[in-house]
Amino acid sequence: MHAGFHRGVAALGLVGLLAIAGGRAEAAGELNIYNWFDYLPQELIDKFSKEYDVEVTLDTYDSNETLLARLKAGVTGYDIAVPGDYMVKILIEEGLLERSEPNRLPNFGNVDPAWIDVYWDPGRNYSIPYQWGTTSFMVDREVYEGDIDTLAILFDPPAALSGRINMLKDVNDVLNAGLRYLGFPRCNDDPEQLKALNDLLLGAKKHWLGFNSDGAKEVLVSGDAAAGMIWNGYGLRARLEKPSLEYAYPREGFTGWMDNIVVLKDAPNYDNALLFMNFMMEPENAAALSNFARYASGIEGVEPWLDPILAEAPELNPPADAPAPEFVPPCPPEVVRFYDRIWTNLLK
Amino acid sequence: MRGRPLRLYHYPGFGLVTLLCMVILYAPMLVVAIYSFNAIRSITVWGGFSLAWYLKAVGNPVIQAAALNSLTVALAAASTATVMATAAAIALVRGRALRERNLAFALINLPLMVPEIITAVATLVFFLAIGFRLGLGTVILAHIVFCIPFAYLPISARLEGIEPWYEEAARDLYATGWQAFRHVLLPLLFPGILAGFMLAFIISLDDFIITSFVAGPGATTLPLAIYGMVRTGFTPEINAVSTMMLGVSILFVTASWVIGRRGREGGGAKP
Repeated sequence: MHAGFHRGVAALGLVGLLAIAGGRAEAAGELNIYNWFDYLPQELIDKFSKEYDVEVTLDTYDSNETLLARLKAGVTGYDIAVPGDYMVKILIEEGLLERSEPNRLPNFGNVDPAWIDVYWDPGRNYSIPYQWGTTSFMVDREVYEGDIDTLAILFDPPAALSGRINMLKDVNDVLNAGLRYLGFPRCNDDPEQLKALNDLLLGAKKHWLGFNSDGAKEVLVSGDAAAGMIWNGYGLRARLEKPSLEYAYPREGFTGWMDNIVVLKDAPNYDNALLFMNFMMEPENAAALSNFARYASGIEGVEPWLDPILAEAPELNPPADAPAPEFVPPCPPEVVRFYDRIWTNLLK
Repeated sequence: MRGRPLRLYHYPGFGLVTLLCMVILYAPMLVVAIYSFNAIRSITVWGGFSLAWYLKAVGNPVIQAAALNSLTVALAAASTATVMATAAAIALVRGRALRERNLAFALINLPLMVPEIITAVATLVFFLAIGFRLGLGTVILAHIVFCIPFAYLPISARLEGIEPWYEEAARDLYATGWQAFRHVLLPLLFPGILAGFMLAFIISLDDFIITSFVAGPGATTLPLAIYGMVRTGFTPEINAVSTMMLGVSILFVTASWVIGRRGREGGGAKP
């Protein structure tokens, strides 16, 4: 529908307009957003609608794979989607995203520089940060007071924690933690190293209470588990219910994930999609999003509007000496097959 | 051959098997319903009685929009399908014995036989091929197609139970074809039509697979919304929405059954 030239001129004109009018540009029309369920607060939709006189339609999907399947099937009409890090890379490779160059939007300067040169979109020509989080583990400090910033807590635990550790029921989270503990690279297909990983996991299994993802928070809060793998947003909720829980930042490393705003190929409301991207990079709006979704936004200067619980939460604000979260790209199929074998054997 | 009718429940172990089937079928729904009243954010640990999740679900704008979409689709699809099914039933049951009757019957009931996923893929590909913009309209169109057999079956069953001489008598008394239909056949047929409508309505309300394929912007229905909710973790909010949907389903199926039975009991008693 949009010729490339027309698109480029429109984008440039928009940026200029935004810069001059200071965000008061009017672009009456529609915007169709495709997002995860319960991931965008109504107050932000209303605010955007009012500010730009745009009617927003919000539809939801349940997984990155559903989004990919629908887009590949040829479903069109959506302007904005919120895929996870690895899915952004896949969508770019499949040619399903518009090269919208959000890095030229006026508010792009608010993006934390750490989130610009990311593996899934170096330089941010297609996407901007939405929310990000980490996967690590929590320990009940009333049960164990020693050093917890090590994966030994999971794989070679102190006596006080043995038998009271809950693992996530997720092949990648568990195997990647094991690979980090052994100092081996991720997406590993080295038979010797995989053998060592398999032995490590089978040996550590006797210390574990079980594998539970749905109840990862509940087992910690109820005290059935004294340590457990958990996502940081859930960890924050768990600590609010049981203050003796502490989120660990193991020095061997831990997994990070980030959801991103992208403009889809042939978006019918391209200009409004850019307006929305710019809107979401406004610190006040990014803070409102974080307050709702309970994760960090990747936007700088959000502190004045951030819920104090989030601003001070150690789960969302890693200490300065913690390693950077590691974003693990999807592994090749043969590695996935090895992983599945180790995992199935472990669950037996 | 036996002298008296065969009674299934005289077989040994019949009660036990029945009980087992009942438990397997209905216990999960009962658990879902119970935990929708949970006071804490868990679907496995009980934390006291509360209606908080119902309030949260009812107040959620995404669920509100989805519920409105579901009702719009179900009403539009069930009404259209019922009209078409009624016409088809009259043509096939009352019409002259067409050679193509079996073919037409098979065609109408095709959506019952074809795996839903295949209908879904085929419908999506078709819509995309003719350049139809996906939205609520495509969902309604797809729903009409698979609702027709569900509306057709109770209507044709009812129609077969109505002897043709009521209409013949009306025609003998100088009623036009339309008058005979409007004042004689339609009132007799009405319980079947209502039952068919309600069945079609509930089938449309519950559909997930076809809807998920052909939905476009602004066409998220309740089943799609519930599926999307699962990713943010199982919370009793899902249970609350599911329980409300279950309630509506039970209400409609019961009503459809009661109307169908009342119609059969009073069938042919008076014009």
